[in-house]
Amino acid sequence: MTRQLYTRLRPYMMPLAVLAITWIVIAATTPSFRGQASIYAVLEGFPLVGLVALGLAVTIIAGELDLSVGSMAALAAVIAVLASPAGLIGCIAIAVLCGTVLGAIQGGLIAYLRINSLVFTIGTLIMLRGITFLASGHAPIIIENFEITDPLLERYGVFSVSSLVTIAVFAIAGLFLTYTRWGREIFAIGGARNEAIAAGVPRVRPLTVAFAISAGCASLAGALAATRGGSAAPQNYEDLLLSAAAAALLGGISLYGGRGTVINVALGVAVLSVVGAGLAARGSAASLVQLVTGALLLTVITLEFLAGRLTLKDTVLGRALPRGRAAGTPSDAGG
Amino acid sequence: MSREAPGAAVDAGPASHSTGPGRARPEWVGFAVLMGAAALAILVAIAITPGFLTVDNLRAILRNASIVGIVAVAMTPVTLSGNFVSLGISQSAMLAMVGFVAMVGAGWPQAVAIPVVIAGLIVVGILQGAVVAVGLNPIITTLAAGAIIFGVVSEVTGGGIVRAGAPLDWGSGTVAGIPVQVLVFLVFTAAVSLLMARTVVGRETVLVGANRATARISGISATRVTILAFAIFSVGLALAGILNGAAFGQATAVSFRDLTIDVIAALLVGGTAIQGGRGSPLRSAGGALLIAVISNMMVLNDFSSGGRLAVQGAVVVVVVVLMDYLRRRGAVRS
Repeated sequence: MTRQLYTRLRPYMMPLAVLAITWIVIAATTPSFRGQASIYAVLEGFPLVGLVALGLAVTIIAGELDLSVGSMAALAAVIAVLASPAGLIGCIAIAVLCGTVLGAIQGGLIAYLRINSLVFTIGTLIMLRGITFLASGHAPIIIENFEITDPLLERYGVFSVSSLVTIAVFAIAGLFLTYTRWGREIFAIGGARNEAIAAGVPRVRPLTVAFAISAGCASLAGALAATRGGSAAPQNYEDLLLSAAAAALLGGISLYGGRGTVINVALGVAVLSVVGAGLAARGSAASLVQLVTGALLLTVITLEFLAGRLTLKDTVLGRALPRGRAAGTPSDAGG
Repeated sequence: MSREAPGAAVDAGPASHSTGPGRARPEWVGFAVLMGAAALAILVAIAITPGFLTVDNLRAILRNASIVGIVAVAMTPVTLSGNFVSLGISQSAMLAMVGFVAMVGAGWPQAVAIPVVIAGLIVVGILQGAVVAVGLNPIITTLAAGAIIFGVVSEVTGGGIVRAGAPLDWGSGTVAGIPVQVLVFLVFTAAVSLLMARTVVGRETVLVGANRATARISGISATRVTILAFAIFSVGLALAGILNGAAFGQATAVSFRDLTIDVIAALLVGGTAIQGGRGSPLRSAGGALLIAVISNMMVLNDFSSGGRLAVQGAVVVVVVVLMDYLRRRGAVRS
């Protein structure tokens, strides 16, 4: 019984420890990072980075990588502002719908053409950024009837509307990935693609769903941020990929595909959020946050690699990203 | 043409890699078709674009292609050796530019500053290469390294502008009418191409990318190849930083902001395979030139910057999908 519990909790030990250490260090060194205000500040990191990290994590679990999330968020932000006459819920829904459809098309094409998702999403990253500039007329745009955004500024204890929405999306995504057939397919296709397909898992559907979730989450993140701030700029969110990837991997989503849960993502986002909120409370520049994020990211992939080397020996470790090298190379067939 | 191909691949099922239709064609046929189509498109565009075929405009295109081209050529060995691409290109080139400008500004002779910058970049590159060679994911490693470099430079410079005093006179100079950047681009491309095609080290790099297991059995060290590839990459980054530093005489932590995407686009449009083992530095140089020509044509035809980006992205997607398709058909052998 205890052993079973230990097995279930083990994947969360490391990110939990990192979270505890970061929180203690930041709280000890930053006098203004205390109590309710600090929890509120940490939760406020979730709507943007958290949602994008959640979507990105789903593509990593599927054994792929969606590099276009930053451009997708920027495009959705612009769409939400342009659609603001449709009301708050209306414009967010339109932005998320557009993003999800684009993501589904992208995922479908990647699976159908069997193309490497890295190169495909680099192309769409550039293309979506261009479309964002065109849609916004090459300048920041603002929501004219700004009263519609008022509900987003409400605060309920340590929660804002955005963070409540984010928590709901995390819960739904968690249930979807764990308890539905479509969700399990994503794990199967990411963990051992050839074996999964041989066992009857469809090739196209899981990737379509994964990339639709990724784009949908990025779009929701962009739309929430734009409606809350009342504006959108076409050049925004270029650095979002770094934070989102860092959060997903810090939380313990395996880069080798097929492993990780939304709880991992949430823990990773919390770590980054503590760092971000803590450094902001000390008045540090955003560049220092990038520095720390980069260092944490490097540390965590090193640790994952070392841990994998100790326990897995030579299973899937030869391949950095499964899809990249698994495309029928003899080394793969031999292993 | 592109409609029927994927359908055929899917119908044939997972086994199509080994037992597909026996249309074994050398890869260069497809590549030649692609280049022919590109050439035709460019000729048509030249015909309808006033002011394209002037000496000044052609020089401007070459100058614009040079910096991206140098770095794309330099990164090709990294991709060829199976280590994908770097997502920290901008930051490393920025480090070289800020470093060079700062040294010149502090009164160092350029004959000292240039080798120091190149050596410094090689050290930074080899560190990343070593981490990647051990087995860590190259994409994530370079993304993290880029963030660290950006953070450190921003902290050191306080986010301000670093100045060399004035732009250096050779930075925007020409030799026999050819801008100095273009000369460096040509020489560097020739050097890296020869290195990859004509030396043992170059052939080993391609083999490690094409088939790591065979390379290992043949006694080739993937670690050594990866580290060397990152060293070559770093030389290109250093050259790009020095050239832009000399031309502008100042730099900030956000210099080269778009370089990462531009370089990867050039490399992919050139047709080097992201999985490694196929491609060449010369192709990456061609990719950089092709993108520069297309951008220039759009500028002359009054495309907005957003429109240019959208087209550039579409070109990357289309070329990547087509190359993948041609490669698969070319590689099918029973």
